[in-house]
Amino acid sequence: MGLREYVIRRVIYMFLLVVAVVCFNFFLFRLPTLILGVSPVDLMISEELRRNLTRDALEQLYLRFGLVPEPDIFDWIYMFWRYIVNMFTGNFGISFVTQKPVIDEIMERLPNTLLLMGTSSIVAIIIGIWTGVRVAAEPGSRKDVGAVTLALFIYSLPIFWLGMMLLMIFAFYLPALTNGLISFPLFGTINYDNFALVTNNPLGGLIAAADILHHLFLPMITLGVGGYGGYFLYMRNNLIDVMTEDYILTARAKGLDENQVLYKHGLKNAMLPMVTIIAMTFGFIINGATLTETVFTWYGLGRYIFDSLIILDYPVVQAIFMIIAITAILANFIADLLYGVLDPRIKYG
Amino acid sequence: MANPEQSKSWKDSNLYIGFKDFWNEYKRHKIGILGLLILILFTGMAIAAPQLATHDPSPTNKVAPNFLAPSWMSFFDPNGVVTGEYIPDPFLVEAPSFTKVGPYADQFSATHHASEENFTQSYVNLTWNYAAGSGVSIDVDPEKQMPDSSSFIYFTQSFDWPFERIPSDVNMTLEYGVTLTGDFKTQELGGIMFRVYIWLIDSSGNWHQVYHSSSPYTPTLQDRRIDLSYFDIAAGWGGMVIGKDGTQEDPNDTLTVAVGLAPTKNFDDFLGDHPWQYYNGSVTVQVTEISLIAYGEYFGLLGTTDKGADAWSQLVYGSRVSLTIGILATLLSTIVGVVVGMAAGYFGGRIDEILMRTVDFLLVIPGLPLMMVLAAFLGPSIENIIIVISILGWTGTSRIVRSQVMAEKNKAYVESARAIGASDTYIMYRHIFPNVTPILFADITLGVVGAILSESGLAFLGLTDPSQPSWGRMLADAQGSGGFYNGAWWVVVFPGLMITILSLAFTFVGHTLDQVLNPRLRER
Repeated sequence: MGLREYVIRRVIYMFLLVVAVVCFNFFLFRLPTLILGVSPVDLMISEELRRNLTRDALEQLYLRFGLVPEPDIFDWIYMFWRYIVNMFTGNFGISFVTQKPVIDEIMERLPNTLLLMGTSSIVAIIIGIWTGVRVAAEPGSRKDVGAVTLALFIYSLPIFWLGMMLLMIFAFYLPALTNGLISFPLFGTINYDNFALVTNNPLGGLIAAADILHHLFLPMITLGVGGYGGYFLYMRNNLIDVMTEDYILTARAKGLDENQVLYKHGLKNAMLPMVTIIAMTFGFIINGATLTETVFTWYGLGRYIFDSLIILDYPVVQAIFMIIAITAILANFIADLLYGVLDPRIKYG
Repeated sequence: MANPEQSKSWKDSNLYIGFKDFWNEYKRHKIGILGLLILILFTGMAIAAPQLATHDPSPTNKVAPNFLAPSWMSFFDPNGVVTGEYIPDPFLVEAPSFTKVGPYADQFSATHHASEENFTQSYVNLTWNYAAGSGVSIDVDPEKQMPDSSSFIYFTQSFDWPFERIPSDVNMTLEYGVTLTGDFKTQELGGIMFRVYIWLIDSSGNWHQVYHSSSPYTPTLQDRRIDLSYFDIAAGWGGMVIGKDGTQEDPNDTLTVAVGLAPTKNFDDFLGDHPWQYYNGSVTVQVTEISLIAYGEYFGLLGTTDKGADAWSQLVYGSRVSLTIGILATLLSTIVGVVVGMAAGYFGGRIDEILMRTVDFLLVIPGLPLMMVLAAFLGPSIENIIIVISILGWTGTSRIVRSQVMAEKNKAYVESARAIGASDTYIMYRHIFPNVTPILFADITLGVVGAILSESGLAFLGLTDPSQPSWGRMLADAQGSGGFYNGAWWVVVFPGLMITILSLAFTFVGHTLDQVLNPRLRER
């Protein structure tokens, strides 16, 4: 079977997965309506207002949420159909709370989340791979044992707590101890007090960027540390595995020095599975980090999905859910293809 | 005569030998032993939680002002007031010192009853026996601190106040009942002829009245809770604190609490009537408890939370929630994972295809958001949290089991079992399953870590039962109330530390099990 057939099969499979996710999503977010008979419209308008509305107006109101008042089985099919059409045309409905299109709300927060998750993932991956390679060269050494124990510690750490600790130390105690010399913001993504300064200044953009980076630092470190342990362990174990292969023995027998063996022969092969992992990471990147974003009150998608869930703003949760799942499926697909392209030994099948 | 085969020592059984080999290998790993010890410690803590906790662990059970620091922090601040019970014997187990004063002191008497059995409380009786015309000594205090009569009885308890600061708040509790006889009982106004008092007496001998009783009285024991005002506290404690001029008003740092019984001026003259001339009878005050809780900057082992609840008790009970949810959720997801993995690996074909595609599907669903949504929909009970966590937890296990089963199922022993007519279920559970289990142990232990962290995350977001004390909940309260903006670092540090230590212990054990039982790693 050739590459083309493989890709076609993967595409069909991916499409089926998307359909499954779309259906799952539909039922998940209509569970309250299905089980309890509560609709979002009930949360919006009072019983009195409801009685005063004409049947037509009520139907219009329900329709805004893709719903039908007192649905029977045919209405459910109709709702499902509307939902499918909307999903595949990119119409995610409107937020119950702000009455703005959900997609706009998401786009407003997406850059923040991408910035936070992107920078922290990159930091974690680079440091993880680097230390993993350094340690794998001498497995069982004191350095190796120490690094593995550290990675296990990070694995056991509730990352949001790490965030709280960093926030407490760097944004509360250190500013007090150093008289504000070392100081990080306690909350938020950007300081709105600087608004006038930024808008009335030719270099305002730079000030705003610096301010955002200042706010970004602590959550980025938190998530970076959280991700580091996994990349490090994966890299280390892969490389140790690779170093027992025959071709490494051959390389050594050729008289290459150990560094060349490690970096040219070992690392190249050990990076292959890493590529998959990295691609998958970026698949879940818009997932955000609900807990860390909540701790730092970062204006991103992770916190938005949670806040919307709490105030029962289902269209938002449903849309974010949908986007995350589809991105993850796409990333999986790309990871599979990358793996095949990078490793000539892979036979499609 | 026993069969020699059966009389073989249990030490020769395969299970024992296998376990002994395993243990010999395991104990070479230091972190594995450390993890095991921590696990035993935490399990003990969860079991002994009712004994270890000092207060009701409910997060809303207010026992003191909020954000009080742990007591041991007063080491760095010797003058800081440690919250606590300051009466040395609040339940009157030992006889207190009684004093009778005034010209008619012989009308009064006192007795102390030590508790004989567990079910009888110790108590003190103060009695005033009065025969008609025997006389009263009325001497009304213009400052209303002393009783109207100069003849009365009281008992005292003293305590030291080592701090150079007055308490922020003081609550007193007096539990007493009053038995009346004779005219005190039958006359309509009998109840206003006497009063029960509480005084604070400082070491200079100044009396400050903080409570007096009023009618009606019943023999049934009743609680009186007395919240001292700022003036009461200043009068009682002010003299023991070094003032602005650098001197201390009272000679020493001792405060005395006195509970007394005295006639009122009504007994001498009530609107022209003179009850002292014709009253016969007695008043007996039974006191079972006199307690004084002074609040300061420090409280208990770990201070108080944002709602003024005891942090230590919550921390202790939190270990129950984390261990229960961690272990049960992992158990559930392991069972599902093993069944799915075995079925997929053993039967292969279409079943394998369907099950593994389900796994693929679950892997692209975002984990925490799904847990949040389900927890919010299903409700915050412990059972639901367990289900929510295990819904996504089984996929990894099933993949491991599947690959292991696929490697095992073509081996000769399986084929021979099939040849003698063994059923599929029999082969799966008697032959294949035992060969898969060693791999599972490490997976299970590491699964517990995931479950504990998931639970704490959900609790942090407020999606678990708000009445249950849990570590994640404590962190949520600390975050929601701005714990460290108030300088209360202890509400942030300790719950997180507990989560970390417990999951670290499971990680260490899991890592060691992996090293010992995973043959691929053992060869290294």
